[in-house]
Formats: sequence, structure tokens, C-alpha cells
Amino acid sequence: MLNRFISDMKKYFSYAKYSAKSDLKSEVASSYLNWLWWILDPLLFMLVYTFIAVIIFRSKTQYFPIFVFVGLTLWNFFNKNVQGSVKMVRQNSSIVSKVYIPKYILILQKMLENGFKMMISFLLVFIMMVLYRVPVTWNVLYLIPIFIVLVMLTFGLSCIVLHFGVFVDDLHNVMIVVLRLMFYMSGIFYSIGNRLQDPYKSIMIYGNPMSLLIESTRNCLIYSSLPYRIGLAGWGVVSLILCMIGIKLIYSYENSYVKVM
Amino acid sequence: MEDKIALEVKDLRIRYKCLNTFSIRKSLFTLKKADEIVFEAVRGVSFTVPKGEILGIVGKNGSGKSTMLRAVAGIFSPDEGFIDLHGNSVSLLSIGVGFQRELTGRENIVLSGMLLGFSEELVRSKMDEIISFANLGEFIDMPVRTYSSGMHSKLAFSITAILEADIMLIDEVLSVGDAKFKKKSYNKMKELISDNERTVLIVSHATETLEELCTSVLWLHDGEIRMMGRPSEVLPVYENFMS
Repeated sequence: MLNRFISDMKKYFSYAKYSAKSDLKSEVASSYLNWLWWILDPLLFMLVYTFIAVIIFRSKTQYFPIFVFVGLTLWNFFNKNVQGSVKMVRQNSSIVSKVYIPKYILILQKMLENGFKMMISFLLVFIMMVLYRVPVTWNVLYLIPIFIVLVMLTFGLSCIVLHFGVFVDDLHNVMIVVLRLMFYMSGIFYSIGNRLQDPYKSIMIYGNPMSLLIESTRNCLIYSSLPYRIGLAGWGVVSLILCMIGIKLIYSYENSYVKVM
Repeated sequence: MEDKIALEVKDLRIRYKCLNTFSIRKSLFTLKKADEIVFEAVRGVSFTVPKGEILGIVGKNGSGKSTMLRAVAGIFSPDEGFIDLHGNSVSLLSIGVGFQRELTGRENIVLSGMLLGFSEELVRSKMDEIISFANLGEFIDMPVRTYSSGMHSKLAFSITAILEADIMLIDEVLSVGDAKFKKKSYNKMKELISDNERTVLIVSHATETLEELCTSVLWLHDGEIRMMGRPSEVLPVYENFMS
């Protein structure tokens, strides 16, 4: 399976890249202001949450706008990919019914697209960090393993969701609820670390990969401290297993997807 | 021509299961599980195609022709039996794979070509040939959404016709575009087909075309082979049967 995965990746990765690039391009082409929305969308939501948290709940979290922005950026990447995978095969039926491609290439293409948007968001984070004069330490390098885990987790879960999305008609509705719950549990506009006491704090952080990744990113990016290293390693292993399950599922069943549609 | 086998199909069976998407809502509120209806589209078909042969496939609607073609193209795997391509590359000549409406014709050529499994460099090197064959004039640099449906299929045909594979599968696309392009594409098809290195499988209802192009004909009936042989033997019997 691994050999097949590697050779398929070699063969189709350039397609995923090109197709992601042209998708982004066509998004810009349809309206010149579209790329502005890649920036405006997280920016406006940051303002909304900052307003609610600072004015209404009187949050005292340091660098709150950056704090929210980091959370939203990571969450958007995860959320868009997983939610998008539910109907991925159906939406691409014109491709799927005419040529063979490994179906996770469709996921990869969307991930590259959303990854590009995430990078733009992160550029804004860095700009805000300069404006707020956030001190930067070498801990920033921990972003690399954090991103690797985020990408693997998203890819693995998306593959699994894509598979079941073909056969289960209303998985879409279920996923909306599940992801919304996860959104509120991930501490995007509140700090799990400061708001909660143990044992709930540990459960919320270690039990939910997104809150672990978000908190870790904030720690090493804006609070000059260490990420949750053990949790990161643990979820790294889990994500790898999820990827393997996802790829295996897709390889074993992808040929029957066309027949279902 | 008997020396090399390009494609071998053995005991091919393909089933469609009806009713096999379920929803959580439905399974919660209906206690009895719906019976699965299994429809077998291809029932134990075996044949071999020597290299360079042009095989026409005929049969009435729903006899499993397109299903078999798609299985050979690798879009879905057989439920039983196997398909051996002997290492040949295969492409299903199909209309408009993965076109992006917002992108120009030129960009769509690359996208489509890469989706068919060709490298970006190869597609780019054949770009001029494709563009001149499609003959869309200045529309080639316009977004595909501005194309008429004829232009759309002209571009799609040109892409698959010029990016050639060892085994070509053609599913009823011999009539594309206006009369002029139709003639041109027919001639191109003949040219592609007459290449001795290339193996071609054509599904068509136009028996005259098949008679002219093919070296042998396979008649599928209800998922089984009814007859296989030279066009002059099979086609008259088939036409007799259909009328």
C-alpha cells in the first residue's frame, strides 16, 4: 500500500498542485475582490470575537486579537477541508466518472488551496505581531512539527470522511453539528489554559487535537513558551494511523464510488 | 498481427448495487432494512485484443458496453475476473474531463491533460498541436464558460485525440461539433486508429462507421458476448437482430 501511495503521489501530485493553483486563479478571476476575502474573512471574524470576548466577557487574555486570529486560522484550515470532503466525490463526479485518479488527490488539491489561504492568514498574524511588538523566541521553530501534525490529522480525517460521505447521504448534516461542537471545544476565542481547572483542562487540551494544536501554536508563537510536546507527539502518531486507515479505505473502496452515484 | 496481445479480459463481471446509499435518518426511522438489488451489467466476458487491432463493440442500450469500457479504463475495478493491459497506457476518450469554467482554454488543456496522466511538459509540448486542431481562434484564451457547447466538445476532443495513449477507448464520440469539424475529427480518428501500434476499442451504434474502421467486432447482449468476429460476419447478423 505504501509503495502504491508513493508512486501515485509522484504521478498525481503535480496535477493536484496545478489544479489548486488554477482553482485559486479562477477564484480571483471571477471577481478581482475575491482574494481580498481571503484576508477579510478571518479579519472580520477576529473583530467579532474580539468584540464579544473583550467587551462582553471582559477577557484579559494578552494579545487577544492575535490570540483569536491564530485560532481561527488553524481552525478554518481544518474545518474547510474536513467539511469539504463530505461531498468531495459527488462534486467531482465529472472527473471521477471519466478517469481514474486516487480519490485522496481531490483532498490534497483542496488542502493545497486552503493551505495557501492559511499562509496568507499567517502573514497577517506576523504583521499583527510586529504591530503589537510581540517578543519572538526560538520556540517559533516548533511551528514545523505542529504544522506537520495538523496536515496529517486533516488529511487522515478528510480521507475517512470522504469515504463515508459517498455512502451516507446525510453525513453532511452530522458533520456540521460535530464540527460546530468541536469549534466551541477548541478554545478558539477563549483560553482553555486560563479558564478551566484540571482535570477538565487536561481533558479538553489533550483529548481534542485541534485545541492542542491551537494552544501549542499560540504558546510558541506569541507567549514565548513551549508547546504541549507529549500531546503533540501522541496526536502525531494518532494522525499517522488515521492517514493510514483513510488511504487504505480509499484504496479498497474507491472503485465502487462511481457506481453509487 | 497475432504476435502481441495488448489487452486481455477474462471472466469479467461487474455488478451494480442499487439502493446502497443510506442515510442515518432513514436507518433510524425504518426498522426493516431495504433489500439490496444487485444488477449485473457485465456477466463473464472474456476476450483478447492483439496489438494494433481496432475492436468495435456493438449492442443495444444497457447491454454493458460503456460499463465494460470504463472498467478497462480503470475507473472501476471488476467484481470478478481480471483485465490485463500488459503494461499499456490507456485513455478513455471522453468529453471535457475536469474543465474549469473560469479558466481559459489553454489552461484547461494543461489541467485536462494532467488529469489524464500526462506530465505538464508533455502537455505543453503538444499544446500548439491541440490548439491548431481545435481551431477555436481567439477563444482559446477566453474562459471556458464563454464557449458554446460545440466549442466545448471540440476542445475536449482535441485534447484526448492528440494526447495519445497505447490503448484508446472511444465511447460514442464520433460526432462532435459542426459538419466541418465532424469530418476533421473523423479523419483524425481514422488516422489515429490506422496507426499499427495503437489498439482501439470503439463503442458505437453507427454500424457503417464500424464496418469501415474496425478489424473485428464484439457484440454484447445483456452483459454477455453474443458474437465476435470480422465486421462482415457480425454486423449483418446484428443489424438483422436489431431491426
